[in-house]
Amino acid sequence: MGDAPLVMSGATKRFGGFTAVNNLSFDVPAGQIIGFLGPNGAGKSTSLRMALGVMAPDEGEVALFGAKPDIRNLRRVGFLPEERGLYKKMTARDTITYFARLKGMSAADAKARANELLETTGLGKFKATRISKLSKGMAQKVQILSTLAHRPDFLILDEPFSGLDPMNQQTLEDLIRAEHARGATILFSTHVMEHAERLCDRIVMLARGRKVFDGTLDAAYATLGQGARMAVEHGFDLAAALAPKGFEAHRAADKGPGDSWRVSLPKGLGAQDALRAALETGAPIVGFQPEEARLRDVFVSLVGEAEAAALDVPTAAETVEAA
Amino acid sequence: MRNIYLIFRRDFLGYVKAWGFWLSLAAVPLFLIIGVGFGMFAASSSPVRYYTVIEPSDVIARAVEGEFQQRAVAAAEEAVELAKQMNIPLAEAEEQLADAVGDRKFIAVPAPAETLEDLRPWLTGERMVDGPAGERPLFAALILSEDGSVLEYWSGDVNITTLKRAAEIAMRDMSRRNALESAGLDASFLKEADRVAVKVPAFRLTESHAGEGGAEVTVADRAPSIVAVALAYFLWLMVFSIIQYLLMGTIEERSNKIFDTLLTSVKLPELLAGKLLAVFAVTSTMMLSWSLFAGAGSAFAASQSPAVVEMIQPFIAAATDPGLIIPALVSFILGYVLYGAIFMALGSLCDTIQEAQTLLSPMMILLMLPMFAIFIAFQDPGSPVIDYASWVPLFTPFLLILRIPQDPPLWEILAQMGIMAVTTALIVWGATKVYRAGAVHGAGIGELGGMLKSAIGLKPKAG
Repeated sequence: MGDAPLVMSGATKRFGGFTAVNNLSFDVPAGQIIGFLGPNGAGKSTSLRMALGVMAPDEGEVALFGAKPDIRNLRRVGFLPEERGLYKKMTARDTITYFARLKGMSAADAKARANELLETTGLGKFKATRISKLSKGMAQKVQILSTLAHRPDFLILDEPFSGLDPMNQQTLEDLIRAEHARGATILFSTHVMEHAERLCDRIVMLARGRKVFDGTLDAAYATLGQGARMAVEHGFDLAAALAPKGFEAHRAADKGPGDSWRVSLPKGLGAQDALRAALETGAPIVGFQPEEARLRDVFVSLVGEAEAAALDVPTAAETVEAA
Repeated sequence: MRNIYLIFRRDFLGYVKAWGFWLSLAAVPLFLIIGVGFGMFAASSSPVRYYTVIEPSDVIARAVEGEFQQRAVAAAEEAVELAKQMNIPLAEAEEQLADAVGDRKFIAVPAPAETLEDLRPWLTGERMVDGPAGERPLFAALILSEDGSVLEYWSGDVNITTLKRAAEIAMRDMSRRNALESAGLDASFLKEADRVAVKVPAFRLTESHAGEGGAEVTVADRAPSIVAVALAYFLWLMVFSIIQYLLMGTIEERSNKIFDTLLTSVKLPELLAGKLLAVFAVTSTMMLSWSLFAGAGSAFAASQSPAVVEMIQPFIAAATDPGLIIPALVSFILGYVLYGAIFMALGSLCDTIQEAQTLLSPMMILLMLPMFAIFIAFQDPGSPVIDYASWVPLFTPFLLILRIPQDPPLWEILAQMGIMAVTTALIVWGATKVYRAGAVHGAGIGELGGMLKSAIGLKPKAG
């Protein structure tokens, strides 16, 4: 385990005239959970396929456990592709056993492991059921179990939460934590920031094929300027009132009582200072809330609100609704 | 090898567990049994039919009866000749044939009435005629016109024409006989002329019979050609059978989006090899099962008649001749891999069965060409068409087998095997590229031309 599970150095992938991944460099040290974030079409899946050797980069290099991806070092990897698919006529147990055997497990070990995984995830009574007879969620669970059946050192999960209901999303989060506790390194891609906020030690953000951020969650939040939300009675100009006090205020579209404003905090001042200054000006305040940094805001600030909208980044509310 | 085995095992069991496999497996023997059984039942269940002839004398009746007898004798003679060629003991054959001669399906009976109007109740089945096969309706009546120029055929069932045709031939022969007699020639004139005609026996020139000039041609001499045609057809049938397995199987996997998962566990050549082996095993299982069925049938026939053993012996000898079987085996393996790789690569470019069906027509045309060659080889084993076409790599696997019984020069056999090997290697190489493009990169059938150009370096690789 001396070599990092994954190191990408200047990896670039083009499809005709379109550059899907542009000069991407990042590493995945052993033992971490890393979120690979970005909107749809950001180049996440292409990057992961390059990491696995499914497709070769046009430029740059990929090292999996210190070597070019090949069948030998891929045995230490469990991969869940974004586009899910299983053999519909195979049973749940046979499916997990088959993929575990392809990763080098003996027939007996693979079968025992399949039984164990199916029992612990509540699919025990469906072990002899064909995939075609399982619900979509159950089939997805079987595919996830197939990915980790051989106890891989490195799990690469491409949009693992996609298509799962909230209950199964929670089950999968628990599974990821359990695999991490076992010692596995995990890299998972998602365009839903909330999962990354709950699970990751570190995040790598991608937009339009380029890396836009690589660091811890705290470092990500630190990229955002601090702020506060205030609501005042209709017609009151908070920007004009706060300007002499050194605060900048902009109208916000938040719904609620009165007019909503976002107040930017100068370095060294907190939300309470902004509130105090507003009260001193006699502003008719009807609501106040210090801003809580969220990963989505980090992403939006990094790639720009306009570009993010064009790339269809889902909001938290949309995410919950979709789930 | 382990991964190839695992891919092979999964695919093989996947095919074998499908009900369609068992249906296909049972279909051939079942249809054979049904076909033979139906034929035998149709022959044995065909009823004896009575007919009568209304005429002033018995000339017409004797002529028709003579025609039926002549037919039975001719059939018997032909069968005895065939039995001679196949070394079937004559006594046994003649005994069986004597039974067949006696087993008449049309029997003349005395007319129960003299006019068509009076015969109607018997012809419509309202009344029965008593004859050698018991009471039956009158099937047909042949009524000679008053001036003797027309013989009317009356029957309630116009679909069975055996009696009408026999009557026509009998009338024609009678007319010819009368013409000969009126010219002062004896009725046996033509028969005698036929008897003294120069015979044309066939001999095969062999080294062992150099002194005598050769040996008379028997079925044993044609056995290698027949076996070669059978082997070539067998290969053709196998290639034809795998189209649907490879096309549909690959489409299913492409639509299942399973390739990424597989390719992080096995190498692409291992994946292809496992899949080809699985389909080979499926078709081989079918062919083997059918062969076992045929073997069991032959063994049963041999237990009933030792002559069958002698009949099939030349075919077994031809099929086990290393001079035929080694090139055939090479052609089998290389031909299977060559066509299998093509079909699998094309399947990897299709998203739907409808899309694959558009590919079936050109594939069928491609496969019909060697089928025509097999047909030509059966009719004319030494045809130059076979010789020339056998140098076309896509046809070589089939046509080399067909050429072997004609003793082509050794260098030609070796050269054609070499061409097959090189072509197969190139096709597998290209098919792997296409398969990767289709299965991994999602390329469609429309991109095939571009991929082939890219593969041979005509334009820079995209993607």
